[in-house]
Order: sequence, then structure tokens, then C-alpha cells
Amino acid sequence: MVPSTVRTNLKTALTAITGLRVMDYVPDSTNVPTNNAFAVIGQLSMNYDYTLNRGFDSATCNIIVMVGRMSEKDGQSRLDGLLSSSGSTSIKAAIEADKTLSGAVQTLRVVSASPGTITSASIDYLSYQYSVELIG
Amino acid sequence: MAIFMGNKVAVIVGTSTISSFVSTVSLNREVEAVTITAMNDNIQNMVGGVEVSSVSMEIFNDFAAASVNSLFEDAIGSKLAIKLIPVTGTVSATNPSYSMSCLITQWTPISGSTDSAATASVTFPVTALTKATS
Repeated sequence: MVPSTVRTNLKTALTAITGLRVMDYVPDSTNVPTNNAFAVIGQLSMNYDYTLNRGFDSATCNIIVMVGRMSEKDGQSRLDGLLSSSGSTSIKAAIEADKTLSGAVQTLRVVSASPGTITSASIDYLSYQYSVELIG
Repeated sequence: MAIFMGNKVAVIVGTSTISSFVSTVSLNREVEAVTITAMNDNIQNMVGGVEVSSVSMEIFNDFAAASVNSLFEDAIGSKLAIKLIPVTGTVSATNPSYSMSCLITQWTPISGSTDSAATASVTFPVTALTKATS
């Protein structure tokens, strides 16, 4: 498993969601478009030696998705669409559409999504942190 | 050789190395204990009987052609040659190989759960075993 390839291919998978701006690295600052969403592919947490003789490793990748300001109802509605387990705006469906990430891993699963807020430039953004398990 | 990690075991089935699909493997060598306790014994007495060794593996399944599923499922009821080497690489006195013939008595082609990769946890009886140091 090559972490940079995994992040790049996760980004590619997520760009299938219309209007979702995706970064495959952690930015210094954010500029969240109003009524739109912003995703950051986080660093991988690696667990080596999932199988014998350096066969495969496992990893967890956190993806942070945030939308406009916390006071905006539209932001929450937008997150609901991303949170859905299926449909054209679903983060889980977009990532699991190709569970090998074009051959970068053996398999993956979007395990969970936890709500929270991200503060940037003194502005609170609604967010979800997704956890993706990968084997490869 | 010194203490070593068990994460480099070579698992070779027939001519296929399947180490990258195996998360755990163990070879358990055991002989039957045959009781020969007699009337005048105050405590049980035994002698070693035949060897009843077995090999156990946790295998991640793969249905690709010639991969692990076909390897084992096609062999159910027959014997497969399995070779284990403690540390992948050259076989030596401190890194001996164990070559065995195993009766494929079981296979689990489907093992589904919501939160983990598909695996087969199997134990095969060993019907012939050779330890080599070169």
C-alpha cells in the first residue's frame, strides 16, 4: 500500500460527488464555499504485517468533510446528503464504488462518520469525520 | 539464531506461495498417548503412539483464478503438499523447513461479517511430515 497513491485515489473517488471540493493533503487554511462542501483526506494510520511475510498491511484513513457555517440550515442539509449510505452525494457510496481504489488496495470499507465542528479563522464549520479501513 | 518474529513464515501450498493471504499459521506436532497402565501400577502409565500432527491457518479468501479459494476448495477430500519455513529465505539448521502432506478436510469459501475481511479458519490433519535443514 502506497499512502500517497491511496490518498490520491480517495480524492479521485470523492470528486465523483458534484460540488465537493477535495484535497488529498491537509491544507494550511480552508476556504469553504457557501452551501457547498469541502473534504480533506487525512494521513493514514498504518498497521503493518496484516498478513505474513510483508504481504499486506492495514490502515485507517480519516476524511474530514465540512460545510458552510454552523448557523446555516443549508449546511446541515448538505451534510445529510453526504452522510447518506447511498445515492449520488453519498461519501460512503462514492468511496466504495471501487473497493480497490484502482488497484491501490485489496479492499476497503467506510466504517463510520462522526459529527463535529471545525474552527478555522474564528468560524465554526459543521463537519463529519469519516473513518475508512483499508487492507493492501 | 535467536528469538525471532513469527511474521515472515513462508506458507507454500503445492507450488503456490500464499503467505500474503495468511495472517496466522501454526504447525502442531503431537503424538497419541497410549495408556499401558497395568494392575500393579499406582499411577497411569503411557507410551507414545502415532503422530497426530495438524496445521492450522487463518486465510484471507480470494476467488481469483488459481488463488487460495480454488487451491483449497478444489482439493477437499484429497491431500495437498504444504511446506512451512519459519523465516522466508534459505532453509538451514536454524531455519528448518517442514514439508507435509495434509488431508484437506475442510474449507470455508464463505465467511461473511459486516466488519471484517472474508477469512477461512482451517485445521488440516498432517499425514506425512519431513523436517529438513537444507
